[in-house]
Amino acid sequence: MTTPVVVVDGLTKRFGVRRGVSNVSFEIMPGEVFGFLGPNGAGKSTTIRLLLGLYRPDAGRMQVFGLDPIGDGVAVRRRVGYLPGELALYPRLTGRQHLDRFAHVRGLSDLGLRDELVERFSAELDRPVRALSKGNRQKIGLVLAFMHRPDLLVLDEPTSGLDPLLQDEFQNLIRETVADGRTVFLSSHELDEVQRLVDRLAIIKDGSIVVTDTVEGLRRAAPRTIQFRFAAAVDPAPFAALDRVRVLHCADGRISLSVTGSVAPLLRAAAVLDPVDVTARPADLDELFLSYYRATPGDAP
Amino acid sequence: MSNDVALLDLRLRRRSMIGYTVGMAVYAFVIVALYPSFRNDTSLNQFTENGSTVAALFGANGPLTTPAGWLNANMYANFVPLVVLLLTIGYGGSCLAGQDEDGTLGLVATLPLSRRRIVLEKTATMSLQAVPVCLVTMLCVLLGQGFDLTVPLTGLVGVTIGTVLLGIEFGALAMLIGAVTGSRGAAVGLASTIAAAAYLISSLAPVVPWLHPARFASPFFYAVGDGQLTDGLSVPDAAVLLAVAAALTGACLAAFDHLDVH
Repeated sequence: MTTPVVVVDGLTKRFGVRRGVSNVSFEIMPGEVFGFLGPNGAGKSTTIRLLLGLYRPDAGRMQVFGLDPIGDGVAVRRRVGYLPGELALYPRLTGRQHLDRFAHVRGLSDLGLRDELVERFSAELDRPVRALSKGNRQKIGLVLAFMHRPDLLVLDEPTSGLDPLLQDEFQNLIRETVADGRTVFLSSHELDEVQRLVDRLAIIKDGSIVVTDTVEGLRRAAPRTIQFRFAAAVDPAPFAALDRVRVLHCADGRISLSVTGSVAPLLRAAAVLDPVDVTARPADLDELFLSYYRATPGDAP
Repeated sequence: MSNDVALLDLRLRRRSMIGYTVGMAVYAFVIVALYPSFRNDTSLNQFTENGSTVAALFGANGPLTTPAGWLNANMYANFVPLVVLLLTIGYGGSCLAGQDEDGTLGLVATLPLSRRRIVLEKTATMSLQAVPVCLVTMLCVLLGQGFDLTVPLTGLVGVTIGTVLLGIEFGALAMLIGAVTGSRGAAVGLASTIAAAAYLISSLAPVVPWLHPARFASPFFYAVGDGQLTDGLSVPDAAVLLAVAAALTGACLAAFDHLDVH
């Protein structure tokens, strides 16, 4: 059995009554891209900081590579690359000074990957960080996170400030990273990016996980809208009686239905009524994510 | 063992260290060079006669026209400790709490370094903040032999070491308060307030009888307030300063281990 790279079980950290995370649990397997989604202030960064040993938890259990991120923090952080959501660099130092110093701390002697990343992201290294745009600072942050070829990447809003070309380059880098057998924990607001990159994801809201699933699983669970047109008015009751089918609208021989799961029972029910036309709209993951964002913890959307 | 955290912070503090050191060198040289103009001015001694509390407030005790009295009143009882404390308390407040507020401490804390290591490297950097100012002052005073300003070398070395240790002690206090509260303002503000109170106790104790026993509670007494410029720094005085600094650093290690770093 494969051992998870990250195990989080019942993790709780409170800042006052309303802020923090409560009873958060999930696992990340080796070689996967695990997405972590949620609205602002939901607890994404808090969870990440707990995993890196920056915050001390109030309750719960965490393991990274089978180690305790607090007690074995040095060993854990040696194998982790981290890009914080609000990257703060030293304003007076140049990008090169940052990279040199941090490479030295990590005992990095082979700078080949670092130089390749600098070239790939066209990172500006010779001006003080305070003179750089947000995107250019973010490039330095990405190089700092990836340059030591870590086994686990923890990336909090990694493409924030990057132009579309570099976002593509970043996505290529993530694909190469997992192809290499390494693992990525990706917190993001970019639903497009999440759909393209992640294998599994958790959605956090108000400090609690509301769902953990594969993107494909969520897509299957996402409601699709199907509309039939009939030659004459139809009775919606046979459709409403079907499992996982909801009648949205029914008038003048037209019926709109929301379907989750298989469409076969619905098609059979419609077929006996001789439909004239049918249209179907694919599952809208964006809408599904947003409905989870709006839902109260523990409720399905 | 690499010392990247210390080197990084020294790089960041380079300008202020150079600025304070150059400023102190100029000030110390002026004080030394002015001595021949005042050494025979007996009216100056009236300022401290009869145990003037106002004079004591400025760190002036005893005759001011002697070399030791002149240097104490103009430098070692007030200005040199003040500049050293500005450096060490300033860095002590910023190196943990301040950098946490800026977000840069998070960069360092996610490197494969233990928190203990981070605190110890920053304590070393904080200690180094005090050294150039004290050394350059000592060199200027040594130059004072050319201006008839002669103090015993053991005394000069003693007061220099005492001032460095005083700075380290209050710098360690600022680091501890920063590690407990995570607030640079609280660290600098509280450490400065305690330093000011300690200065008042040490400087007023010789002339205010009811404060006299309290001088033992002030680090200034062990560093510069007990005749160190003439008699040198005694081993017990140095031991007290070192022991308090070590205890504060130990408490800081424990507090930083529990601090939520952002």
